[in-house]
Amino acid sequence: MHFDAANLLPILPEIAVLLTAAIVLVVDLYIDERHREVIHGLTLIGLVVAIALTGVVGGGATELVFAGNVVRDPLADLLKGAILVVSLLVFIYARPWLRDRGMLVGEFYMLGLFSILGMLVMVAANSFVTVYLGLELLALSLYALVAFDRDSSRGAEAAMKYFVLGALGSGMLLYGISMVYGATGSVEFGAVAEALATQGMENKVLVFGLVFMVIGIGFKFGAVPFHMWLPDVYEGAPTPVVLLLGSAPKIAAFGLAIRLLVDGLGSLQADWQGMLLILAVLSIGLGNVVAIAQRNIKRMLAYSTISHVGFIFLGLLAGTEQGYAAAMFYTITYAVMATGAFGILIILSRKGFDAERIEDLKGLNERDSWYAAMMALVMFSMAGVPPLVGFMGKLLVLEAVVRIGFVWLAVVAVIFSIIGAFYYLRVVRYIYFDKPEEDAPALASSGGVRVAMSLNGLALLALGVFPATLLALCQSVFGA
Amino acid sequence: MGFEKFLFYVFAAITVLAAGMVVTRRNPVHAVLYLVLAFFSSAALWLLLEAEFLGLVLVLVYVGAVMVLFLFVLMMLDIDLATLRAGFIRYLPLGVVIAVVMAVQILLVVGPGNFGAEQFPTPAAAAADVSNIEEVGLLLYTDYVYPFELAAVILLVGIIAAIRLTLRRRPGTKYLDPTQQIQVRKGPDRVRLVSQVSTAGLREEQGARDVAQSQEDGSA
Amino acid sequence: MLENYLPILIFILVGILVGVGSLGLGYLLGPRRPDQEKDSPYECGFEAFENARLKFDVRYYLVAILFILFDLEIAFLFPWAVVLDDLGVFAFWSMVIFLGILVVGFIYEWKKGALEWE
Repeated sequence: MHFDAANLLPILPEIAVLLTAAIVLVVDLYIDERHREVIHGLTLIGLVVAIALTGVVGGGATELVFAGNVVRDPLADLLKGAILVVSLLVFIYARPWLRDRGMLVGEFYMLGLFSILGMLVMVAANSFVTVYLGLELLALSLYALVAFDRDSSRGAEAAMKYFVLGALGSGMLLYGISMVYGATGSVEFGAVAEALATQGMENKVLVFGLVFMVIGIGFKFGAVPFHMWLPDVYEGAPTPVVLLLGSAPKIAAFGLAIRLLVDGLGSLQADWQGMLLILAVLSIGLGNVVAIAQRNIKRMLAYSTISHVGFIFLGLLAGTEQGYAAAMFYTITYAVMATGAFGILIILSRKGFDAERIEDLKGLNERDSWYAAMMALVMFSMAGVPPLVGFMGKLLVLEAVVRIGFVWLAVVAVIFSIIGAFYYLRVVRYIYFDKPEEDAPALASSGGVRVAMSLNGLALLALGVFPATLLALCQSVFGA
Repeated sequence: MGFEKFLFYVFAAITVLAAGMVVTRRNPVHAVLYLVLAFFSSAALWLLLEAEFLGLVLVLVYVGAVMVLFLFVLMMLDIDLATLRAGFIRYLPLGVVIAVVMAVQILLVVGPGNFGAEQFPTPAAAAADVSNIEEVGLLLYTDYVYPFELAAVILLVGIIAAIRLTLRRRPGTKYLDPTQQIQVRKGPDRVRLVSQVSTAGLREEQGARDVAQSQEDGSA
Repeated sequence: MLENYLPILIFILVGILVGVGSLGLGYLLGPRRPDQEKDSPYECGFEAFENARLKFDVRYYLVAILFILFDLEIAFLFPWAVVLDDLGVFAFWSMVIFLGILVVGFIYEWKKGALEWE
């Protein structure tokens, strides 16, 4: 068989990440303990190269390569770019935490890079096989990362829960995929969509497969009622891992949902709309209400994630180009917000101390007013306060929902996000109106972290005031 | 055709029964052995589907390797069976309800109307000289080369994760390094010459001590 | 298609017959005089000291899982060996990349000392 090297062009970012992981692995084995931090630099260089390559090979018409297993289209380009940028921030924030605890070892970087590779594969997949392998690559790396602190029994417990429930979710997804494959005779999204168009919607097997696929997607997103793993994993896993787990994978999960539900089973939209509707309402409701009762800020952010996932589903279930674009805008900006929130938690942590209680944020303003401002921006944005980007995201999603006539749904979502605003604002109150605890030392931070955090926080403001660029990109992806 | 159908039902029944035993056995080792039986009968089902290569790989990989791993894991754990049973009983009603609901749904969907022989007619049997392994190979290394390489990456992640999570150095162990052992050179490594105080010197010392002894005796 | 399995069936039947037959003959013909000492568990002739189910070291797990990973790798080699003639250089290189990725893993496990038993 003749192989066309042009096949490799669209996957250059993936190749870059894979090579970076391999280089980090080998360098880590042979390098002297004192120069261990070289791997951090190598990882960042690799990610920057991957971002550049995404830009270079991106743009232009949709291309299918590797016999239809991989696609490069505007959706893949944009999601890959977003995943890589968020991951870059993740590694920058994670370094001081890892260094202080003697965990700055190659495995964190390798497994992190492999999880990023899995995400990139997922969002650029054009067949069930590729999407599933990307998902497993992501999930396996994350299971290991959650248990990364080997001496922490909480971490081991969280990893076990994550693994068992994640495997269940993957199994459900795979079962659904096998049903759809059985009914359509193909694993490639284009062929599946074509088969659906010709044979019509009468086939119950398809609907049955769809149910399992939606459950699988719900598990991966952590939507209610498939959310049980999320708070425990966020609480038990080391903070840098939560940072990695809670940010970019949401973008990848969005890619997964779009690829499966829209690219593959787009003509079953009437069926999955109802399912997503239930998941969305439950997630927004339960996430926002239960978050109020949390004293542990990681758990609180976990429930906040669940409620944001509900909003992402609102955009998806609209089933219109506008809805997809709104959901995409929401997902990307949410990932940036989550990165900022967990980044601040890492900055607040120091050797022998992890910021986990909401009280640990007390008087942050007096300890470091710039970081306090950034955290306030993140919290206001998550709460949906204008003019921050969280408000724009919610507005766009709700607009899409209202357009398809679900006014009641928009009202429910607004009510619950007002309830939810309470716990975000409580954090802001702790930051600005409480005294710091007496033994709280000054925050040490290396320059890179401060720059990254400033960019991260200000991006929320900038995107909120000038959302047009990102929004236009999202809309051009779906041709709206 | 009749006999094939009969065989299918036999193996399918064994698979389902064995799977049921896996989740209901008290002794985890027995559960694993039933799982082996379930894998064997699934492999037989795949053989009936003319997927011989996959059937054999199932036996080789799952029965040969994965089950051994399961047994190791079981032996590593100090399983308290009583507490396990308690959780089982407590969640049994909920589990049964969910299982029944799912089974009913599956039966409704996988009935003859949707999944019967009309919808999915039996494909023509492959000719006797068609090699199943060849068909797999022809697709796997061409059309599915990208998923194939991804499989390698997943295996690599498996290696890294397993080593990171379980490999620990034990400081107190006595351990011989074979590479050091075979690097022993003939001369200086095997024979160590110890410089020894000469016997003459020893005798002198002994003599001096005897003198001192006798003087002590004299004074006493 | 099933008739191709006839020799295998005969083979299995003969195997079962030999196994069950010898056991059955021993059961039927052998003298059996059980007493309490014979039937009670013992370790090298002593009374049993403790439960036979003792915990294994986690190192066995590591060896087993590394074995499985490379066992799977081998499973991918079989179809490759069969079709290499037909597919030629493309299949060759796809397998080289596959093995290359796993060789990286092999270097890792070797250098980390996962293959040493201490």
